[in-house]
Amino acid sequence: MSSAGTKLGKQDAGAPQAKLRALLVEDNALDATLVVRALNRDGFDVAVDVVQDEAAFTRMLRANPPEIVLADYNLPTWKGMEALKVLRAEKLDIPMILVSGALGDVTAVECIRQGVTDYVLKDGLARLPEVVRRALREKQERSLRHQIEEDLARKVDELARSNADLEQFAYVASHDLQEPLRMVTAYTQLLGERYKGKLDESADKFIGYASEGAQRMQVLIQDLLAFSRVGRQEAASASVDCNSVMKDVLQTLATAIQESGAVVTCGDLPAVWADRTQVAQIFQNLIGNAIKFRGEQPPAISVKAEKADDRWQLSVSDNGIGIAPEYAENIFVVFQRLHARTEYPGNGIGLAICKKIVERNGGRIAVESHPGKGSTFKFTLPSHGPEGVAAQ
Amino acid sequence: MMQPLLELLVVDDNPADVSLVCEALVGSKTRSKITSVGDGVEALAFLYRREKFANAIRPDLVLLDLNLPKRDGLAVLAAMKAGPNLRRIPVVIFSTSQLRKDIVRSYEMGANCYVSKPGNLNDFFTAVQSIEEFWFGHVTLSREENNG
Repeated sequence: MSSAGTKLGKQDAGAPQAKLRALLVEDNALDATLVVRALNRDGFDVAVDVVQDEAAFTRMLRANPPEIVLADYNLPTWKGMEALKVLRAEKLDIPMILVSGALGDVTAVECIRQGVTDYVLKDGLARLPEVVRRALREKQERSLRHQIEEDLARKVDELARSNADLEQFAYVASHDLQEPLRMVTAYTQLLGERYKGKLDESADKFIGYASEGAQRMQVLIQDLLAFSRVGRQEAASASVDCNSVMKDVLQTLATAIQESGAVVTCGDLPAVWADRTQVAQIFQNLIGNAIKFRGEQPPAISVKAEKADDRWQLSVSDNGIGIAPEYAENIFVVFQRLHARTEYPGNGIGLAICKKIVERNGGRIAVESHPGKGSTFKFTLPSHGPEGVAAQ
Repeated sequence: MMQPLLELLVVDDNPADVSLVCEALVGSKTRSKITSVGDGVEALAFLYRREKFANAIRPDLVLLDLNLPKRDGLAVLAAMKAGPNLRRIPVVIFSTSQLRKDIVRSYEMGANCYVSKPGNLNDFFTAVQSIEEFWFGHVTLSREENNG
């Protein structure tokens, strides 16, 4: 038997089925024949190459990769288990079965632990076809799973890319639209001021409409830019003390709080792992909304936190006008508004920004509301960093 | 004694913006003269009194846009701050950009202040008027003798 490999097996030229390509690591010609016979007896049509050292094994793997490797445990110049290392080095996922003389239980278990698919004793070769069949089936399932995982990863990748493209587009579009729009805004305003009462009444009205439209569009574009910036800017996640964030937010909203007579109660809040500016933006938008959409009573707003697994669930509750349940999802969509501009000003960007920030941090935001009684917005943020660094 | 005429150089490629700056200063108390150029190369030719600007008067203040054709505002700023005479002229960056990197870079390169062009007409007018009032009203400039 030459180390280049010897052909064995039933030469059945007219066989319709594809032959099972097996690579046998075996120094004993008789044993090799017995192995092939055991497979043939069970209906396997096999094409077998036999090798007995590493060089020949590697060469055969590269020239004609087998579907299965059957290796003797003990060889005069090589060890069967070394074949497993070669398979790994060649990055081949080919099932390998040890076909061996007496093999202690401990050794057998150790071989399987190292990655051998199964083992068959030479005096129990009748078991071999079933073991081979199962190994091939498992391999097929593994390939299928691997393919599905790859497909999924590719789709996720495509989705991420198209999302990034879309964000880039929104940013560029809104940024570049600003410049010409600024001219429209400025000059319609100038027309309105300079020529008020000098043309006719309709002209004044038309200029007014054009000017208002341009100004509103300016605000919309600025909001859109702010929204797309949430995804573009590198969020610097760190441990953020929500108590200190709340202090800043209340300062920012001081005028609105004072004018509305709002009372904001705030429990002891935890530290979360996120970008400080973004956390502040969430609180500011939610508390700002609670003040804006107030009921008859002065706003009573309460901010709380509770632990939810590895995250903190933060909540902002109010006694405002509330939201009908059918709109509970809608309100988080960009530019979605439930009220006329004349009733409540705004563009419907605040909650969309909150949602985007929360979701980029792997969290969820939702609202529970009783129309006429108030709303509670709940959102989750990580309590620690990626390597388990605790927020403190 | 008559107040000397103060020279403002506006570097902006958008004639609509130049026109707004002029409109903003209509009726201002300061006696100032506005000259405008439309790109970075022209701006430098004007400042260095080259070619058709051989007789140009050295400005007392430069209102400089960042996004300019040929050579951008930062290049103009760099050239000005490298010139022994030009570096004395205060430069107000007047740009739509609100990008932090533009703002930081401008100050790093010696801009005297950075003002974002407001979108709203009245805010725009107020911004231009306050720039003029501050630099031509309150500030003591280091003028050249031949300018008076």
